[in-house]
Amino acid sequence: MTTDTLHPLASEYLERLRRAGRRLPPARLRELVTEIEGHLSEAIDPNASDAQALTVLDKLGEPEAIIAAETPDPDELPARRGTKEWVAIILVLGGGFLIGIGWFVGLVLLWNSRAWSTREKWIGTLVVPGGLATGVLIGRVLLSSPTKHFCYGIVGGAQRCTSSLGPRIASPALAVAVLVVLVLASIATSIYLARRAA
Amino acid sequence: MAAAIRETAISQLRRGVLEFCVLALLRDGERYSYELVRALGDAEGLVTTEGTLYPLLGRLRREGVVDTTWRESPSGPPRRYYRLTPDGRAAIGGFVTEWTRFRDSVDALLGNGVLG
Repeated sequence: MTTDTLHPLASEYLERLRRAGRRLPPARLRELVTEIEGHLSEAIDPNASDAQALTVLDKLGEPEAIIAAETPDPDELPARRGTKEWVAIILVLGGGFLIGIGWFVGLVLLWNSRAWSTREKWIGTLVVPGGLATGVLIGRVLLSSPTKHFCYGIVGGAQRCTSSLGPRIASPALAVAVLVVLVLASIATSIYLARRAA
Repeated sequence: MAAAIRETAISQLRRGVLEFCVLALLRDGERYSYELVRALGDAEGLVTTEGTLYPLLGRLRREGVVDTTWRESPSGPPRRYYRLTPDGRAAIGGFVTEWTRFRDSVDALLGNGVLG
């Protein structure tokens, strides 16, 4: 390790650089550290005085400034989770209850955000379209009253009523199961979106 | 306030021209990183912190305007030598033309006191 032949202040500087660069991609940090190490070993004699070493380090600048220069512009990075992303997640989950259009507003926000990839946006859209409201609606339909009454009268005759089977197509247990699955899938999708945008 | 605006403008200008200064230094042949950084650091008013030039060199490598080779140095760790690629040579050629025009226009305006 060439660090042994560096001036102690230069070694300390490199250590600060490594610490400051923890969030860089490892290959980028390694390259940067190698270059700066070369600079330090050429510019500072291992036996130089501290004052000479500090003069070189001053010209080099703060390690944090070098790391900042190496860090890509925010524009190049995918956006992180902000207020808009939270609103999108909440509306995609529960917006269906807001006069029906809340979910669509959520979708617009979801698709306009740069925090998610296209694949993640499709997952947010298609896993449970409508979100929680869909689960609740389907659950209610499945559990709804089994009968409906149709009455019609014949002029001058007795009124007749028929009772037809309503849309009760499932046992309560199945209805509850469908409800639970849809609600859980909606919540899981929201958690997935929140984590992917983090 | 005026000083802050001037500082911002100057640092943006520096950022804009620095990479072409690196390319210009390589026109006559290859140089290794430390040589490049010292040459730029010694130029009056061009570089405030030499360390931030290393990320710039990395960007030039990724853009494909320079190529690099590592070679042993007579003393200390190996050195990374930079040279222009054909793309880099074209880039600096084009910039020299543009810069001359830009500089002449700005000089003329500043000289006439148009901008104060």
